[in-house]
Amino acid sequence: MGYINEVISSRELLVNLTMREVKGKYKRTVFGQLWSLANPLAAMLIYTFVFAFIFKAHPDRGNPSGLDVFALWLLCGLLPWTFLATTINAGLGSLIANAGLVQKVYFSRIVLPLSNVAASGYNWLFEMGVLVVALSIAGAFVLPWLPLVVVLMVLLALFAAGIALMLAVANVYFRDTQNFVGILLQIWMYLTPIIYPLNLVQDQSDRIGGLFGTSITLVDVFRLNPMENFVDVFRQLLYDNRWPNASTFLVCTLWAFGSFIVGVWVFRRNEKNLAEAL
Amino acid sequence: MTLKAAIMRGKRSVYEDFWALDEVSFEVPVGSTFGLIGSNGSGKSTLLKCLSKIYYPESGSISAYGKLAALLEVGSGFHHELSGRENIFLNGSILGMSKKEVTQKFDEIVDFSGVEHFIDQPVKNYSSGMYVRLGFSVAISVAPDILVVDEVLAVGDAEFQEKCRQKFIEFKNAGKTVILVSHSMDTVQQMCDKAAWLKNGRLVQVGEAAPTIQAYLGSLTTGSV
Ligand SMILES: Nc1ncnc2c1ncn2[C@@H]1O[C@H](COP(=O)(O)OP(=O)(O)O)[C@@H](O)[C@H]1O
Ligand SMILES: [Mg+2]
Repeated sequence: MGYINEVISSRELLVNLTMREVKGKYKRTVFGQLWSLANPLAAMLIYTFVFAFIFKAHPDRGNPSGLDVFALWLLCGLLPWTFLATTINAGLGSLIANAGLVQKVYFSRIVLPLSNVAASGYNWLFEMGVLVVALSIAGAFVLPWLPLVVVLMVLLALFAAGIALMLAVANVYFRDTQNFVGILLQIWMYLTPIIYPLNLVQDQSDRIGGLFGTSITLVDVFRLNPMENFVDVFRQLLYDNRWPNASTFLVCTLWAFGSFIVGVWVFRRNEKNLAEAL
Repeated sequence: MTLKAAIMRGKRSVYEDFWALDEVSFEVPVGSTFGLIGSNGSGKSTLLKCLSKIYYPESGSISAYGKLAALLEVGSGFHHELSGRENIFLNGSILGMSKKEVTQKFDEIVDFSGVEHFIDQPVKNYSSGMYVRLGFSVAISVAPDILVVDEVLAVGDAEFQEKCRQKFIEFKNAGKTVILVSHSMDTVQQMCDKAAWLKNGRLVQVGEAAPTIQAYLGSLTTGSV
């Protein structure tokens, strides 16, 4: 309880550090916040060209929305993923980037990674806003689903924050963490059906059948990935415009709280040694 | 009531058997100005970090009565691209002040720093002296009961150093406690009532300022102790 109070009393600092990240990032650039859209747009163009045009990946038509636009389908999964990836990367380096501060001033250290989560969340919110406008123009009726989208966004933020907290601590002790994570994130992204639809995996899975003589299929293994569940629900809400699968939503919730609780616990245990270890 | 800062054993470094501080134990009376002296690497900064809860001693204890603020480095957490004004609020909240408090003290902070004309400029355009002045002004406005200061006074021009000295005297007159590290024996002599001399992480002498300084200076010339 004492710890929660301490963190709550640091909320003003959290807001200020978040604003420092947000304001400092695009300061003195001509396009400012618009740059936050540049990366997802570039990725969208590349993946659409490669996967939809060359490889002819064809996700199911939005049901009941009737949408059939690969680029929009892609962004519904890609934007949550880029949020996760940037949050993990930024949060992971936050203690080292602020080593001077940690060694010279006493304050609740957890605000450093959390401010990075909040700053990338701010950018993400902006991107998602643009996506909702684009979906609406394309004919999807997204508005009624927005409250649930926001809830899911909060869940993903908790999930990302938990991972960022654990890795931030790990990175102080083993600086190699940063390099490992860069590679792991890349693998993780391709193992998540973001740029290709799960039905392609399903085809392979049906062909192979049960793995190693068990009844577990390849798709079952894919579905163990928490991000697969998140991306799935995001698409059900934004692209299909329907009630998400309750069990999938529950899985996301469990992962979110599980990750966050473990993250805070790990961080708290190591907080006092950080200044010395940096 | 006395402010009791008893550090039995200090923090240990990464080396298995290196104690940055060992058997350092003393008390600082409330309302006094206390100087820490000793050569480089003797553990003064480490001791101050323990006092300000940045490091935690592996054994031993530290008790402080009242709100403690530390000034180990000025301008920690300044963001180069942000203006002086934005940085005052940012730095204030890092040091534990609420937005309301900073707003109240804003004019006082700017006034003391003497950088009024540049307050809306990004701090990266500041000279290093101005940077230090602004950082110091924010830190001093925290209004703690106990102020812990590491060698930061050495920076800034003579005029600013004099201003700081005045501020410390104000502090002292208001019944606050100041613990400071300085390499200027004149400063310690002028400002401190008591002093402690550290050498290789051990307490050599503690007591009235003048004899402690004498002993320290004496050891430097003779090369003994
Ligand atoms: N985090 C740390 N890891 C390893 N050694 C440290 C650490 N912090 C301080 N030390 C060591 O402790 C000793 C005292 O340092 P310090 O307190 O900075 O001295 P001073 O401020 O008196 O010049 C030095 O030998 C320094 O190398
Ligand atoms: Mg020092």
